[in-house]
Amino acid sequence: MLNEAGFAGIEWVAETGFNSSPVTKGVLFRARKAPIFDMRRFEMQPKDVLSKYQEFFNGAYAEGMIDRKTKYLIALGASLAAGCDP
Amino acid sequence: METKFNSDERKRIREGIKDKYKAVAITPEGKFSYPTGRAGLEGQKYDPKILRALPEDVLASYCGVGNPFSLGPLNKGEAVLDIGCGAGVDTLVAAIMVGTEGRVTGIDLIPEMLKRARTNLKKTSLKNVTLREGSAEKLPFPDETFDVVISNGVFNLIPDKAKALREVFRVLKPSGRFLLADQILLGEMPVDTESMIKNWSG
Repeated sequence: MLNEAGFAGIEWVAETGFNSSPVTKGVLFRARKAPIFDMRRFEMQPKDVLSKYQEFFNGAYAEGMIDRKTKYLIALGASLAAGCDP
Repeated sequence: METKFNSDERKRIREGIKDKYKAVAITPEGKFSYPTGRAGLEGQKYDPKILRALPEDVLASYCGVGNPFSLGPLNKGEAVLDIGCGAGVDTLVAAIMVGTEGRVTGIDLIPEMLKRARTNLKKTSLKNVTLREGSAEKLPFPDETFDVVISNGVFNLIPDKAKALREVFRVLKPSGRFLLADQILLGEMPVDTESMIKNWSG
């Protein structure tokens, strides 16, 4: 359920030893929300927003004064320098 | 496996829980099968330095099932939400941990427990605590409000746990943490409604 809610890094850490009944067990869970760039948040955007972004993306990488391959290499270098993780 | 309840069943669960916790607000002693009060706090290894900072009759109102603070530190200046704060012991512990630059909000469904929490808060000099009535299934806060959400022995009482967990996710800031102490059910849920409701609020 924590996973379906969008949490990452879900851990069942320990039992607490405080059990409310013979059929239950006290437990400790820890979970975190992903940092700002989360693909699931991106995918939940309305379609018109996504299509505008796609238009921008296609325009940015279109062949021009700088060819597409060079643009991709520049983008790759910039992301490595910025330490962008997937 | 998610269990769906109709509105009458949800109402009966809520009333069962309210009846129990009206009595717990006066004292939790003898109402749980595990230690409560100072014995419970010491059994769950809460920080003794922090316990010394709280009055004895505040500690006596503790009825948690675990220690959410054992899951990781709270940092100075953080905004924390305590879901199902009850008499507010964890709320006050969190308020001490985050310091004057931080803030802690406790939310609970039971007016009698909140009244006890407000009484407990007045016995301290803490100025960074807010207490309010509300439901975990519909948290009355904007998106991305809190650095940390804690909860202790509450989610097992919530009929729509999936909805409550989505709400926790919503109100957490990116990189926010959820620290949960709770009861899990071993084996199968009872199939008849009466037993389910008794199980939920017992």
